[in-house]
Amino acid sequence: MEGRRCAGPPVFRVSLTAAMRRQAVPYLFLAPYLAVFAAFWAWPIVQSFLLTFQNTRVIPPRWQPGLNWGRLLNDAVFLSALKNTFFILLVQVPIMLALATMLALALNSTMLRARGLFRFAFFAPVVVGEVAYSALFRLIFNGKFGAVNGALGALGLPTPDWLQRPGTAMAVVIIAITWRWTGYNAIIILAGLQNIPQDLYEAAAVDGVPRWRQHLSITLPLLRPVVLFALVLSIIGTMQLFAEPWLITLGGPGNATETLGTYLYRQGFTSTNFGYASTVAYAMALMAATFSAVQIVFFGRQR
Amino acid sequence: MRRQILRAGAILIAGLGLGLAGAQAAPKGEITVWSWNIAAEALDMLVPDFNKKYPDVKVNVLNMGNGDVYTKTLAGCAAGGTDLPDVVTIENSEAEIQWARFPDCFVNLKEFGVEKYVDKFPAFKWTELMAGDGIFSLPWDSGPTMIFYRRDLYEKAGVDPAAINTWDDFINAGKKILAATNGEVKMVTIDMNEDGWFRALANQESCSYFTNDGEAVAINQPGCVVALEMIKKMIDAGIVANGDWGGQIQNIKTNSVASAYFGGWYEGTIRSNAPEQSGKWGMYPPPAVEPGGVRAANWGGSSLAITSSSKNKEAAWAYIEYALATDEGQISMLRNRGLVPSLLSAVSTDYAKSPMEYWGGQPVWTDMLATQGNIPPYRGTQYFDEVRGTIVNKTISDFMNGNYKTAKEALDFAASQIVSATGVPIAQ
Repeated sequence: MEGRRCAGPPVFRVSLTAAMRRQAVPYLFLAPYLAVFAAFWAWPIVQSFLLTFQNTRVIPPRWQPGLNWGRLLNDAVFLSALKNTFFILLVQVPIMLALATMLALALNSTMLRARGLFRFAFFAPVVVGEVAYSALFRLIFNGKFGAVNGALGALGLPTPDWLQRPGTAMAVVIIAITWRWTGYNAIIILAGLQNIPQDLYEAAAVDGVPRWRQHLSITLPLLRPVVLFALVLSIIGTMQLFAEPWLITLGGPGNATETLGTYLYRQGFTSTNFGYASTVAYAMALMAATFSAVQIVFFGRQR
Repeated sequence: MRRQILRAGAILIAGLGLGLAGAQAAPKGEITVWSWNIAAEALDMLVPDFNKKYPDVKVNVLNMGNGDVYTKTLAGCAAGGTDLPDVVTIENSEAEIQWARFPDCFVNLKEFGVEKYVDKFPAFKWTELMAGDGIFSLPWDSGPTMIFYRRDLYEKAGVDPAAINTWDDFINAGKKILAATNGEVKMVTIDMNEDGWFRALANQESCSYFTNDGEAVAINQPGCVVALEMIKKMIDAGIVANGDWGGQIQNIKTNSVASAYFGGWYEGTIRSNAPEQSGKWGMYPPPAVEPGGVRAANWGGSSLAITSSSKNKEAAWAYIEYALATDEGQISMLRNRGLVPSLLSAVSTDYAKSPMEYWGGQPVWTDMLATQGNIPPYRGTQYFDEVRGTIVNKTISDFMNGNYKTAKEALDFAASQIVSATGVPIAQ
């Protein structure tokens, strides 16, 4: 093979030494991927960054560096989308991770029968398509015909018009996301639980450490890296939250469940303001990156 | 100067040539039309009659969601005309963004001599369909607003609809109806998370988000302030039920409201959802905001445009001309699906004048279309969707929830937000 190549056209022999050619081989194998990466990842990332400095509502787009970034901080709807996103971040993510941890402990328990079935059952929501389950949540929380109000009414409890009031609409979105992602996080944490060496517990048991103390001093500290991983994933996911608020409440009523994701979509695809949509996207990405960095610095030290 | 005249002459000659070519060859081929719900159905039902005149044109109407047509058209234009059909339905208020962002995406209908139809439609229908010196879309239906009311419930409370001249009268009538039904029947349903009522009442007072030249923000002008105050007044009087589109239909079905307020196209919605209430309904024009004020407003309405990427522009024009610029086409869609023609001559056809059984024998189309000439023109501008979807709906919902002391304060804030979103200055 090598010999045949050396017999190739003289131009090649002059321009490429054998060592260079050998170095080039892996890049040739990578080339298809790199081409796709450049066209569909790198270029859009650069291009949308450039868009943030342009007024894209005129033809041709005009270079106005302060326009979009200046608007961002003064934009009441962006700020309320930011507030809503943070609200979900601060309320939904901790609740979900606490539930997921408890669920993981329960699923890991040796006393539980049919563990495989339960694990599948709690993981199943992730398999359901976002559109389908959002439509179902819309229906079961319908103020007049929904199953939830049917049940509440039968118990003689108040039946709020869930999707028409700001607070309850937000509650529905949070319930929906929690339903979908708790099992997923529980499976991640469960994997972490199973990585904790059994001999630690055995040693503790020999020393007469009670179960609850084993839990506090062995399980939770050793779970920290996995929970941190789940936390980072959840935070990034929440920062980009789109499907549920868009499909269940359409960001409404008013802007009560508008998130950064739905606002970005609105600006990009119903107002065709690509410059401003890119600015919102970069703001989201910056925040997500900052969060992740902070978490890793503060909570990820031991690893 | 001389060169300009020469150029104008050349364009004129080219235009004449095109016109002649169009007149000579009968169009043929296949065209695809994007539309939504009842509008798409009405367009589809029109095809057999159209084919009697143009047997060689095959028309495919695709029934998609309203939002899908809008976003897919924008996306197709952004992609340089890829995968667009020959004809798209465009809502008037959402029209300008298309011409502003993608001026090359649509055919300037002057190519087909659309000028001859300009005075066949009311002026307000054209405002958003023209840009620069182009006309990009042909007016279809319009939405002259009417109060749809239950004759039996009004009568029971001793309310005479003919005596309701202002929205204040409307509020008083609502209180009477509440009293006569032990509070079980409200006067009307309002979707408090949507700007529909606000735009309609502001339209009566010749106020809109922007001035009609689109050069300034007008949302905090007195006409808009009065409109928002009036809606709050109705809500505070306790005569209003809150409800979205589906909730409103539910209220009608369960006899829990005595009226509804929408564009005329809501006729078909009431008629098809509550056939058992036939004969119990009537209509009257919207009450004035202030005594002696305008009693006409527009809510909704669409148009048809031809895409530049169409391979069969002649056939597409033949179809939209037949559908929208002939009495035959417009009346067919009115009869089949209750779409209110904006073509002025359609108003005087026999069908439009005839009494309607469902509406207690009232000739509702005549009554409705009579208001059409009084509707103050207004413009959506290219910022319409952005301004409505984010800023205005939020302001209304915040104001109704008591987050602002006065309507003026709420709308001043909305105006400042619109300025920062669009760069358009506030009107003086």
